[in-house]
Amino acid sequence: MQDRAEQTGWWEKTIAAWIAAPEARGFADVLPQLHAFHFRQNAAYRAFAESADVAAEVTDWRSIPCVPQDAFKHADLRSFPTEETVKTFRTSGTTGEGFGQHHFRTLDVYEAAVREGWKLGVLPRGPFLVLAPHPDEAPHSSLSHMLATLAAREDFIARGGRIDIARLQAATQAVCLLGTALGFLRLFEEMQTLGMRLQLPLGSTALETGGYKGSGRDIARTDLYAMFSDHLGIETGNIFNEYGMTELSSQFYARGPRGLHHGPPWARAVVADPVTLGEVAEGETGILLVYDAANVGSVAGIRTRDLAVRRGEAFELLGRDPAALPRGCSRAADEWLAR
Amino acid sequence: MKTEERAQAIALAAAPMSDFLGRTQPETLLRWVEAELGDAGALDRWVKYGAARTKAVAPDNILHVVSGNTPHAALQSLISGLILGSSNLVKLPRGGIPEVDDFISRLPADLAAKITMGEELRDDWIGRATAVVVYGSDETIAALRAKVPSGKIFIGHGHKASAGIVWKDENYVSCAGAARDTSLFDQQGCLSPRVFYVRETKPGFARAYAEQLAEEMERYGRIHPHGPLSVAEKVEISDLRAAYNFRAAGDLRVAIWAGGPELDWTVVYEEDPWFPSSALSRVIFVKPLPADLVAELGPHSAHLGAIGLWPCTEELADRFFALGASRFCPIGRMQDPPWTWHNGGVARLAPLVKWVDFEG
Repeated sequence: MQDRAEQTGWWEKTIAAWIAAPEARGFADVLPQLHAFHFRQNAAYRAFAESADVAAEVTDWRSIPCVPQDAFKHADLRSFPTEETVKTFRTSGTTGEGFGQHHFRTLDVYEAAVREGWKLGVLPRGPFLVLAPHPDEAPHSSLSHMLATLAAREDFIARGGRIDIARLQAATQAVCLLGTALGFLRLFEEMQTLGMRLQLPLGSTALETGGYKGSGRDIARTDLYAMFSDHLGIETGNIFNEYGMTELSSQFYARGPRGLHHGPPWARAVVADPVTLGEVAEGETGILLVYDAANVGSVAGIRTRDLAVRRGEAFELLGRDPAALPRGCSRAADEWLAR
Repeated sequence: MKTEERAQAIALAAAPMSDFLGRTQPETLLRWVEAELGDAGALDRWVKYGAARTKAVAPDNILHVVSGNTPHAALQSLISGLILGSSNLVKLPRGGIPEVDDFISRLPADLAAKITMGEELRDDWIGRATAVVVYGSDETIAALRAKVPSGKIFIGHGHKASAGIVWKDENYVSCAGAARDTSLFDQQGCLSPRVFYVRETKPGFARAYAEQLAEEMERYGRIHPHGPLSVAEKVEISDLRAAYNFRAAGDLRVAIWAGGPELDWTVVYEEDPWFPSSALSRVIFVKPLPADLVAELGPHSAHLGAIGLWPCTEELADRFFALGASRFCPIGRMQDPPWTWHNGGVARLAPLVKWVDFEG
């Protein structure tokens, strides 16, 4: 019997090798075994699985219980000894409810998933200009770490919350801009204030990610992408959206304003009925469950808080609750309570 | 038309709506006028006022701006205007409110003619209005207040959240009422409780109360099923259930009971005393009553609407007076405010009228 650290190490190597050669293994074979590993190593996950009548051994990866995102705020979802933690990413958190934490024993698997997922998604090669804080400024941000995995230190052009627009102006060959939707929106507002418009070199691309949580902003993807064209001269078909989160290690990408999100072979998204958790029919809306084999040190199945439409092997992201309209006078009190 | 005649016509039109407007009889409405204006005939004749006599003058036009899709606020506000004899401009939320149409259809023609409704706030309405009554978010109220010229009466009813406090109830007598308060209108109203704070009269009592409440929620739901839920609401409730199921699996201070094939009701027991931003739609929290609830709620108490008490005694109301709620009532009657209810601590007729004194 291997000890805990050895088992974890074995899984890290196995998944990293799978990520490097995705055709070598099948998702349906690996996921049930990874669940069994998490079940044995992770007390909080085991208690959750048992409460859902799921044992260590499952035959179908779809029967692996998905841990709600919220659980990362309250539970220690670590499948390795605490003292071996090398990195903890944190969610931004909302008032009164704390922040979620995702712990890592190694970042090798995470970084491999970022790099290989990028390649498999046929995403732009660079050179990159990053409009988000570097990990030096945001050590607990998984997004900053992901971007730093792709881009070099000198590619980060945002410092102390200010974007160095001169770096954009100086671009002489096609560049790929990486940043959050909110960061880009602020850039466009600043450019508007300065009365500035840029025409980046032909073939330039952009990747935006994240929503507008906590900013009081909400802009449709089509409108945001039109701003990329207006302010930077980037064609809307050359703009990508990344769907990822602190609780995951892998990313899903969509191209263009109406693009569908696709993931790498070691991660699967299932659009599920919110009541039964069964997969919805093609074209129907449900909540997004993500199974991510790169989450070696935590849990494989995550129940996200996002809505999506099932589109074949891909999904159309709707985000949080687009249909929720205020119905009664106590509803808006939630907004006040959430402040 | 005199006040008494208006009261009779309104009571007749409101009679089929007793399940959410409560019993509305002509005498009830006249007692409301008397409670607020000192005399039920104050709008019709000179009435005694100290050493002199006085008469109330209703505003010519009242503009009612109603945000929620539940019928209570719209009807209560409209009826305030009708009982005063004013003309009423009613801005309804998009999609309208069928109950309001239904009510108006039962009014006599001369009273119905005093109502103009629309789903858009027409440009001239603020200019025409003598008084403006707004139900909505703080932002909506502030935006409209800025548009209303000084000199016009302006009353804003902001959003509220309600709670219950069980001080002593060894035999769980209040549970059925707590289930009704929670379930009625699927928790969409500002009088709907989000949480019951239960005093631990014996160890584990709050948790046992939650379990009993779950049984009553199930019982109530069998007779009065949940209304249809949107996908978004289903997601909200199932998210909350998933989160608490996870926590309950590894934390004895948390428990969850849930029922119905369609997420019909959910009871969460949690020892943490924070005031929950519940998913609503029959999702109710039960928590042990902390030693100092005022301190625990902190700034949240500024938005407390009603507090259901068990038992409902003046002594207990005094004990929790500092919470800042504007209404104490028995658990089981949270959704049945009388017509004399000071909504948000504000009288609903008196601030709308002006007085003319006669000292002959």
